[in-house]
Amino acid sequence: MRRTLIFFLTQFLLWVLLSQVNHELTPWGIALFFGGLFVGFSALHFERREALVGAFAAGFLHDVGTPLPFGTHAVVFAAAVIFLQHVRHRLNRHEGLITVMVILIANLGLFLAVSAVAARLLPDVGGFTSRVFSDLIASQLTLALVAPWFLALQSKTLEIAGLSAPAEPRPRSYP
Amino acid sequence: MPQRSFHASRPFLLLGLILAGWLLVPTLVKRILSISFFELQAPVSVTASHVRDLQDFWSLRTRTRHDLIAAGRDLARLNASYEVTLQQTETLRSEVARLEALLRIPTLPGYRSEPARIARRDFNAWWQRLTIRKGRNYGITVGSPVIFSGGVVGKVAEVHAYTAVVDLISSPTLRIAATLEGDSRPLSFQGGNNPAFGPARGIVDYVPTDASASAVSPRRIVTSGLGGVFPAGLFVGEIIRLETSTDGLFKTGEVRLDSRLSELTEVTVLVPERAD
Repeated sequence: MRRTLIFFLTQFLLWVLLSQVNHELTPWGIALFFGGLFVGFSALHFERREALVGAFAAGFLHDVGTPLPFGTHAVVFAAAVIFLQHVRHRLNRHEGLITVMVILIANLGLFLAVSAVAARLLPDVGGFTSRVFSDLIASQLTLALVAPWFLALQSKTLEIAGLSAPAEPRPRSYP
Repeated sequence: MPQRSFHASRPFLLLGLILAGWLLVPTLVKRILSISFFELQAPVSVTASHVRDLQDFWSLRTRTRHDLIAAGRDLARLNASYEVTLQQTETLRSEVARLEALLRIPTLPGYRSEPARIARRDFNAWWQRLTIRKGRNYGITVGSPVIFSGGVVGKVAEVHAYTAVVDLISSPTLRIAATLEGDSRPLSFQGGNNPAFGPARGIVDYVPTDASASAVSPRRIVTSGLGGVFPAGLFVGEIIRLETSTDGLFKTGEVRLDSRLSELTEVTVLVPERAD
């Protein structure tokens, strides 16, 4: 519970920073999306329940104030967590570069999933492709720079709070 | 083998359960969650906007006295011209009231102007929204029109305790009844594509076939007053391209919106006054 709360505080900090950056980027017509970074750490290191709570909390932060139905981001983030937890035993997730790569791929998937939902639920006036593509490129490039810092911040915060050892699940062995 | 496939598909079964569970969650619970998370974010956004205001204040303090004197002079001139406009408005208002009484026609809806600072701008490919620093505490209501010196900004989409969310006219989620300036025939305006590194665009439908516009000779469009949300005559944008629609009955086109929309810091909410 305490770990989930402290983890949520780091997610909230990221949301605050991201919303301020996006606020300043509006004159340039660019918006950053860091969905993968919100779910990456917990999906790779936490138990399923904790990671899902984190995903829902981050999703709700994204959902409020948008014209999408409340819970859209939350469900998409939860799906990403479940998928990442399904494949994490095949990854060397304690390797920083691997973690960043996983987060980048997760972010790409989440961005496309949210875009697909938005395209389906919101009025389509055409011509969105170029904007979506430029937002995606900007998000991925910025995320590659920010992810190592934020992962270190999350890790260090948990360490300071005395909760640094996330549950280490056993490698799954199929009969 | 079946057990192995069950293990492999278990996460996706869980995902299905989560999705089904979320769909079954009562609307009331979702609403409470939505309000709670919004009110959790609101103080942060509002504080950040106050910090930005403070930054602007201190950066303005670095200006020279000469700049301040020049700005004061310009402001005095502007105030003088506004005084004249105010007198003319008052004369016209009393004339309207006299004609309404004479012809026994219903009074036009009135609005109370509520200036509000912007706490946060949230623009992406799919929606463009602003969070303003006034909400229910200032009597702002859902659907209230929002304007700035350059014309229409948008419409209030959500109202919270101390903040409100505004849908911009550049957002595809917003539609407005408009007319060509100097023409009374209605047309439909909708927010459109918002390209990167460029001003927002809108689209118009149901434009009369005798109308023409191009990038070199654009046509201004203003609100029509139909629909009862926006007062008539507010500037929306300029049509820069028109082409005949597929059915040949009307024209459709592209609208260039004010580039200042993407860097707004203050807007005015027109709160409808109650008839009583």
